[in-house]
Amino acid sequence: MSCFEGQLAGWMSPALARSVDTSPIVSQTTSQTITGLVAEYSTALYRVAFSVTRNAAEAEDAVQEAFLRVLKHESRLAEIRDYRVWLVRIVWNIVLDKKRRAKTRPENEDLADHARGLASCDRPADDAFISSQEESRILALIDCLPRREREALLLSAVQELTTAEIAATLGTTESSIRSRIFRARRELSVLLEKEGITR
Amino acid sequence: MTANRQPRTQANAESRIDAALRRISASAPDPGLEGRILNRLAAARLQVDASPSLPRRVPRVLAPLFGFAFAGLTCAVIVGGSISHSRRYHPGTVPAPPALQLPGTGVGAASAVHPGAPASAPVPAGPAARGRSSHRGAQGRARIAPQARKAPGVAVPAPPSNTPQN
Repeated sequence: MSCFEGQLAGWMSPALARSVDTSPIVSQTTSQTITGLVAEYSTALYRVAFSVTRNAAEAEDAVQEAFLRVLKHESRLAEIRDYRVWLVRIVWNIVLDKKRRAKTRPENEDLADHARGLASCDRPADDAFISSQEESRILALIDCLPRREREALLLSAVQELTTAEIAATLGTTESSIRSRIFRARRELSVLLEKEGITR
Repeated sequence: MTANRQPRTQANAESRIDAALRRISASAPDPGLEGRILNRLAAARLQVDASPSLPRRVPRVLAPLFGFAFAGLTCAVIVGGSISHSRRYHPGTVPAPPALQLPGTGVGAASAVHPGAPASAPVPAGPAARGRSSHRGAQGRARIAPQARKAPGVAVPAPPSNTPQN
């Protein structure tokens, strides 16, 4: 934990101490727990959010909102067995809600992310640009997949999540997740062939 | 030739799908994400503490109990007020029905005189009462004032003094 985080945790603790039914020691522990969760999971949660939003600002907003919900339900922190799955589920619900509300997916594409990707590539700029466009097209085709297959495939892209964690997030079994991912990739291959992207 | 092309296309598609998914897994937040989140959490906490509202102080379990208690109290006030109102304007004593006047020689209640029944003989008017004949003239007929307004289209005979005699 950095000095800044420690300071913030200390700053939050008196406020937590005045909260509903917790003693100061428990509140301080809760505050430190939340700070630890932020330090440990914020990047993974950002990727989960980004897999749906494809927009850096919206993904970050979703992560912040998720931690606000954690703060709101801080009294339940002690009951949570797997923080990672719990947080991923919160973020997942938030981004799906947002996506449902704003049904215009293409407008959300973030040009800054394109630029970031281009700068980090070792390939020539033209190739990198074509490749980036292709990847965007493939991600758009992923959105055309059936909901279950799409969700499993997107979460499988987040390397921090195991199949068991994806299954827990989506409320199903690991074997179901594996078959969903397999079906999603197969259907996506067919779509790519139709689009002529595989040549 | 086609058989060779099919797996190659499939492999090509798989590699492109992997590349697109790698773009998601390689996405990284702008530096300082943790600090921004903690700042926002601290701000939210301070905001909540600055304006503590009643619902936050009352545990969520007790809210329905308070609701039911308030509803019951309201019902009790309405019922009590209604009873109190009816007692104030209609005192407990209900007026007794008029007693029947049983004739001395009658056979029973069927021949009794009910107080509300019409009188069997004419009842003379009192000295202050105004009879129907007060509007009559000397000849025993009511006079109609010439300026009296009549409904349009209704034929009214002229007064007897103006009628030419044959």
